[in-house]
Amino acid sequence: MRRPLIGLTAYAEQIHHGRNDLMAAMLPMNYVKAVHATGGRAVLITPDDPGTDVLESLDGIVFCGGGDIDPANWGAPRHPATEVDTVRDTSELMLMRAALEAGLPMLGVCRGMQLMAVATGGSLHQHLPDLVGHERHRAAAGTDPLAAGASDYGRHDVVVEEGSAAHRLFGRTLTVNSFHHQAIADPGEFLPVGWCPDDQVIEIVEHPGRSFALGVQWHPERTSDLRAFAALAEASARARAVAA
Amino acid sequence: MRPIIGITSYVLPASWGVWTDLPTALVPHDYTEAVRLAGGRAVVLPPDDLDADVLDRIDGLLLAGGADLHPSLYGQEPGPYTVAQPDRDAGELTLLRGALDRDLPILGVCRGMQLLTVVAGGTLHQHLPDTLGHEKHRPGPGVYGSQQVLLDPESRIAALMGDDLTINCFHHQGVADPGSLTVTGRATDGLPEVVEDPERRFVLGVQWHPEVSRDRRLFGALVAAASKELTQACADR
Repeated sequence: MRRPLIGLTAYAEQIHHGRNDLMAAMLPMNYVKAVHATGGRAVLITPDDPGTDVLESLDGIVFCGGGDIDPANWGAPRHPATEVDTVRDTSELMLMRAALEAGLPMLGVCRGMQLMAVATGGSLHQHLPDLVGHERHRAAAGTDPLAAGASDYGRHDVVVEEGSAAHRLFGRTLTVNSFHHQAIADPGEFLPVGWCPDDQVIEIVEHPGRSFALGVQWHPERTSDLRAFAALAEASARARAVAA
Repeated sequence: MRPIIGITSYVLPASWGVWTDLPTALVPHDYTEAVRLAGGRAVVLPPDDLDADVLDRIDGLLLAGGADLHPSLYGQEPGPYTVAQPDRDAGELTLLRGALDRDLPILGVCRGMQLLTVVAGGTLHQHLPDTLGHEKHRPGPGVYGSQQVLLDPESRIAALMGDDLTINCFHHQGVADPGSLTVTGRATDGLPEVVEDPERRFVLGVQWHPEVSRDRRLFGALVAAASKELTQACADR
């Protein structure tokens, strides 16, 4: 196999297509395209039995975006704005802990980044507007806040800590889109290495003890800046070459 | 470790929650559940026609149902009722040919059976009501046609199905010529409902939808064949 095999965590969702209404195992195609554009081969990993055996076949994994993580996982009561899918939480937390244990290269996107904190003993802010007093981290669904002429709602800079792996990847600053209402409070075993300069919300985390475990709070798969996916593909190909 | 069953998928503009018409890779949840309940580990394969190398990492292939195949695949022009999704065809053909090359266990459901047929050099009826004069294979939107299937008693499918021969159909196309495959089951109107390749380890296509009832007879057989594949692969390593 020439391309590294990258698993994307997917989920079961009631979707509408035309007049049809069905329960589907699904994931937006932009994640698939981001993996394929950066030299990987994507497969979707659905919530499953308490089993992590599928990780043995993968070279890397992306924990994708989605709904909120159940605050019971860090012992907090549920905020009225928090909407959870406990089946997905259970499956992904188990996969993430096993993937960290195995040293599998991983990228966390939005919810996937928040999962990194929760899986390693950290916690989240359940509703950012309560904390920062504005809604500017949550762009309207279906919009592209990075498009020319878009309002700055749902778009902001990220400042990256010098000396971090993320700094080698992104440089000192970058501009990102923003589609979330929760954020990391305590990053657990991960290190925060990027912040929104306006409000100090954590935007990037990385694991100090793993070759590649990067989490970003924004959605690179909806942009043309696929550096995070390219870095995952590269780390996955490297890990595979070592294993072979 | 459970055998990994790769399931081919659709790409459709889907809507859920706050999202509207977002291009989405998906497969009905029935398929992943049917594989899980039969003891396999499902992964969904988004369309990609660059190569079939992903097959080196899975143990069995499940060709899911979906839209009509483009009739150019069997040398015809599209008829008035044919609705094709050619971008899906290319990726699935790459996977199916790669799986046949590797002699991986393959189960084709509905469109998947038709794909098996076309790759075996066969042809399809593009609109069954025109051919058969009835709509029992697709009674109406979202309604499965319940039928009894007649099986060749010597076939693999007869051994799997046992005494319960009720099937649930939802298709408007069907197999005209099975190519190099063997028809081992038919509806009472004579339409092929099952194709097999007795020369291979496990190549089975059914025209009905066993995933809806999570039919362990069929998915269990796929998973069992894939387990042998997994055991063999481990022995080779």
